[in-house]
Amino acid sequence: MSTLVTVDWLVLAPALAPVLGVVLVLVGDAVSPARRGGRWALPVAAVVLVAGAVLALRGSLLDPATPLRTLCLPAPDGACLWTAGPRTSTLQAGVLLAAAAALAVHHDARPRLRDTTVTATLLLAATTGGVAVAAARDLGTWLVALELATVPAVALVVLRGTRAAAHGGLSLLVTSLASFALLVLGAGLWLTATGDAAFSPESVAAAWADPERRAVLVLAVTALVSGVGFKLSLVPFHAWTPQAYATTDLGTTLFLAAASKLSAAAALLVVVEALVGSAGSVVVVLLGLPAAASLLLGTVVALRQDDAVRLLAWSTIAQAGWVVVPLTALSSDGLRASAGYVLTYAAATAVAFGVLARTGARSLAATRGLLRRDPLAGGALALALLVLAGLPPGVVGLVVKVLAVAAPVAEGVWPVAAAAVVAVVLGIAVYLRWVAVLVARPGEGDEPAHEGSRARSTTVVVVLGTAVLLVTSALPHALLGGLG
Amino acid sequence: MNPWLLVVVPAVAAGLGVAVRRDDRIAQVLAVLGAGATLLLALVAWIGQSGTVIGFGPALPVGELQVPLGVTSDPTRLAVATVVALVATAVQLYSTWYLRTDDRYGQFAATVSLFSAAMLLVVVSSDLVLTIVGWELMGWCSYLLIGHWSRRPSARRAALKAFLVTRVADIGFVLGLVGLAAGARSTDLGTVLEAWDRPTQCIDTAVAGGSVLGDALTACAAPDARLRAVLLALVVVGVLGKSAQVPFQDWLADAMEGPTPASALIHAATMVAAGTVVLTGLHPLLEDSPSARWFLGVAVSVTMLLAALLAFAQSDLKRMLAWSTVSQVSVMLAAVAVAGPGVDPDAGLLHLWSHAIFKSLLFLAIGWAAVAAGGTAATALRGSGAATPVLRAAFLVGFLSLAGVPLVVGGVSKEHVLSSAWDGAVAADGPGVLVLVALVLTSAVTAAYSTRGYLVLTAHVRRRPEAGRVPPTVPGLLWVLVVLTVFGGLVVLTGSFAVHRVSLLWLLLTVLVVGVGVAVALRGGFDRDPAEVLARRLVPHADRGLGVDALYRRLVARPVLRLARVVAFVDTEVVDAYVRGTAVAARAAGWAGQRAHRRERPSAGVGLVLGAVVVLGLVGVLAWS
Repeated sequence: MSTLVTVDWLVLAPALAPVLGVVLVLVGDAVSPARRGGRWALPVAAVVLVAGAVLALRGSLLDPATPLRTLCLPAPDGACLWTAGPRTSTLQAGVLLAAAAALAVHHDARPRLRDTTVTATLLLAATTGGVAVAAARDLGTWLVALELATVPAVALVVLRGTRAAAHGGLSLLVTSLASFALLVLGAGLWLTATGDAAFSPESVAAAWADPERRAVLVLAVTALVSGVGFKLSLVPFHAWTPQAYATTDLGTTLFLAAASKLSAAAALLVVVEALVGSAGSVVVVLLGLPAAASLLLGTVVALRQDDAVRLLAWSTIAQAGWVVVPLTALSSDGLRASAGYVLTYAAATAVAFGVLARTGARSLAATRGLLRRDPLAGGALALALLVLAGLPPGVVGLVVKVLAVAAPVAEGVWPVAAAAVVAVVLGIAVYLRWVAVLVARPGEGDEPAHEGSRARSTTVVVVLGTAVLLVTSALPHALLGGLG
Repeated sequence: MNPWLLVVVPAVAAGLGVAVRRDDRIAQVLAVLGAGATLLLALVAWIGQSGTVIGFGPALPVGELQVPLGVTSDPTRLAVATVVALVATAVQLYSTWYLRTDDRYGQFAATVSLFSAAMLLVVVSSDLVLTIVGWELMGWCSYLLIGHWSRRPSARRAALKAFLVTRVADIGFVLGLVGLAAGARSTDLGTVLEAWDRPTQCIDTAVAGGSVLGDALTACAAPDARLRAVLLALVVVGVLGKSAQVPFQDWLADAMEGPTPASALIHAATMVAAGTVVLTGLHPLLEDSPSARWFLGVAVSVTMLLAALLAFAQSDLKRMLAWSTVSQVSVMLAAVAVAGPGVDPDAGLLHLWSHAIFKSLLFLAIGWAAVAAGGTAATALRGSGAATPVLRAAFLVGFLSLAGVPLVVGGVSKEHVLSSAWDGAVAADGPGVLVLVALVLTSAVTAAYSTRGYLVLTAHVRRRPEAGRVPPTVPGLLWVLVVLTVFGGLVVLTGSFAVHRVSLLWLLLTVLVVGVGVAVALRGGFDRDPAEVLARRLVPHADRGLGVDALYRRLVARPVLRLARVVAFVDTEVVDAYVRGTAVAARAAGWAGQRAHRRERPSAGVGLVLGAVVVLGLVGVLAWS
């Protein structure tokens, strides 16, 4: 057992901030239970998360060659258990902000949440896992952090207390356990194949060169991709997604759709980064098959949905495919494109769920004419959908889609690129179908406006999310610059 | 003087004319002033200018193609421009009386101005693009003028027919000129002629410089003679369409639905004669291409005889003049067709010059007579030309000129065409003999129908015809044209047209041919219509133009419509089916996917997960091994 030589608390701050939040919330609740109906817990947690995001963004501006590192082992190994380059830092900030957005939506929930401290604690715990997994570079931390990011989310789904929610939570829990089993199996195989407890390209290259160890490594990658694929909602590990989304409340759905997906993508990036440069076409097939299947199935089924949340759930599945598409290139450009895509997707989907929370609409028909009835909500939703479709004025959606397809095209992975092109065409139909409803004339029976005045914090989420989309649409380099 | 002025002045008059079309008085003054100013400019330039003046245009570099958009004036072009402006002025003056009660006079006058601007552009153009612009503009203006009385269905149909038939032929015209310009990498007429004419001159220079003929041939890259012949034939197709030659001849007789001044303009100086101007410009290429000249020669030989026969048998005298135009334009084009290497085709332009004068005289005179008599049919017009001395003189001089009697303007030019054809027949590398035979026969028939026209119009009738009340401008105009018709032949002395002297022998021969025609026409005596006597059974067929209209519909319109229906069917039912099929397939896939996910239970999810892992693992291991 070796001891760590460095512990830099400032570098660890993005992960420590939510931990601090948990401590604050629990202590506060113990000292003064039910103070002001417990409504103080959510703002405190949100403030802590935003502070953590600001600290994480500090790392986004660094040179990719000199990432923030800490928890390093003594020489001769010298591996650092925490390595956060600009890409990782930006993903961490995304996770923290998405969690803060989920808290804001929870804050406006009607009827009011009774157990705010529990909700805040669970959310902060899951966020801690999500932030940590992005920077983890060894199997143990990675595995624990990934589970920490998942299990509290299951509890959040169940917390709603309805029968349907329990059903959804059970589905989530069972598949979560299956995925955990796969991840543990994969981690063990990885250790067997590489003889290294860290994700390092050098040991992967050595293992790949040896035919016998290569077979084990391929199985390890299969198990790891399947395990992460469950959290990322890749086909065929997607079945829980529409059910969980539809049965829980919007705050939790937003967390699952944005923060959880960011953590899962960050975890997958850690694995793929180690494979870049040495792995061959087998890994491309292992990544490309689920990606293409997600793209096609998610888009095609989303085309038939009339329930807004279910449409977004299936759209999440399709977008998860988009996140994996650039990874099939197994190049550093692909990693960057993937991170950019998942961040853009998270911002757009957070805005969409925020608008649903603000208006209370659950079906497409209920949003008819929203652009006229409530220009702020309608405009934000239309922009978010156009970003997801990749159409101007949602330029950032177009940019990340182009980058996502450019990486496999550059490496000659044509089947995946072809599936992506088909998905673009079908995706335009999916999202424009909803945009057309938004811009239509309001029907006779529609109310003029919804409880916009009371959902203040949700409105802040919608406005800030839309601002992020607008700024990155006008200056796509702002986003790409934060990825190294 | 800058040649652009000749185009700009009438074009500006047209633009302003549209602006002031509501007020007839201002429109009249503007139209007449515009035409008069153009005439004055052309006349001054013709008299005062010697040599060639180039008007530079806004040169456009279009990729590899040079488009200088220049214009040129030389004595020949100025002579033609003068007669065009003269006819335009006469038509504008005449219209102020003829269309005085028309509620759309302003539009008519503006269109006439634009029409003459387009024709003048073709005359002075030394750039193929400008030629096409003027050519297409004339097609459009002719549509507007023929369909001027658009409340009448027959006028609308005639306008549409003229437009469609000439458009179809214009496909060839544009293709031919584009091909010529592409080969020369420039649209400048001089460059085009040089590029396609290169070998002879180039070889001559090389041989003169002392090299062996074989070396000279290889050194001078010859333009593809076959390609050149095809391109020229395409241009000729366009010319045949615009000039109403076989097989496009049928639109011109129907175009008589337009107001008489418009007919005078179209027939005398502009549209139908434009082809002669263009082909004369391209003659340096045409003279080296016997196949293209054969094509043109055969078409015009058939046309001139057919049109002359049809003219003889028309029961409507205005339509008789229309068919005579077709025949006379063939005579102009014949002069171009027979002119081989080294022979100038200016006899054709000379005939254009004289035809413009006497045909405008005849049209304007018959327009007046028809207004007085209330119709243009031969029975209605019978004897109406005897109403006043000016009409009698106009018809006498006009028909004498049409018949080609020596010394009047039409006779002078026709003798030059005949002598050119004789030169061509002697040279024997083109359609000279064929054209010469057709010309001689046509001259006889022309003399016959001219005699018929004069006999019918000035026949003695029991009730003395009324000439109606006209302002003094109309008889004045006719007197001017009568004088020009008698003395216009003197233009050969100015040297503007490159024609050689005509011998006395030709004069006698012409008199003989014309005499035969007149004698045939007079077989029934002075009091009977020669068409009744000689061609009673031909008249109904001739009035229908031998049923060519039905032939157009059967051979062109119906197949095109059928093809369009097939294409539309393929588009909507076959091509679109695939497009609709993708939408149906996507929706069906979505339905199937949703159905598969309806039973969302934990066990189903776990089963899916494990199954997928097994599959992925198998894929991985199989692919690896």
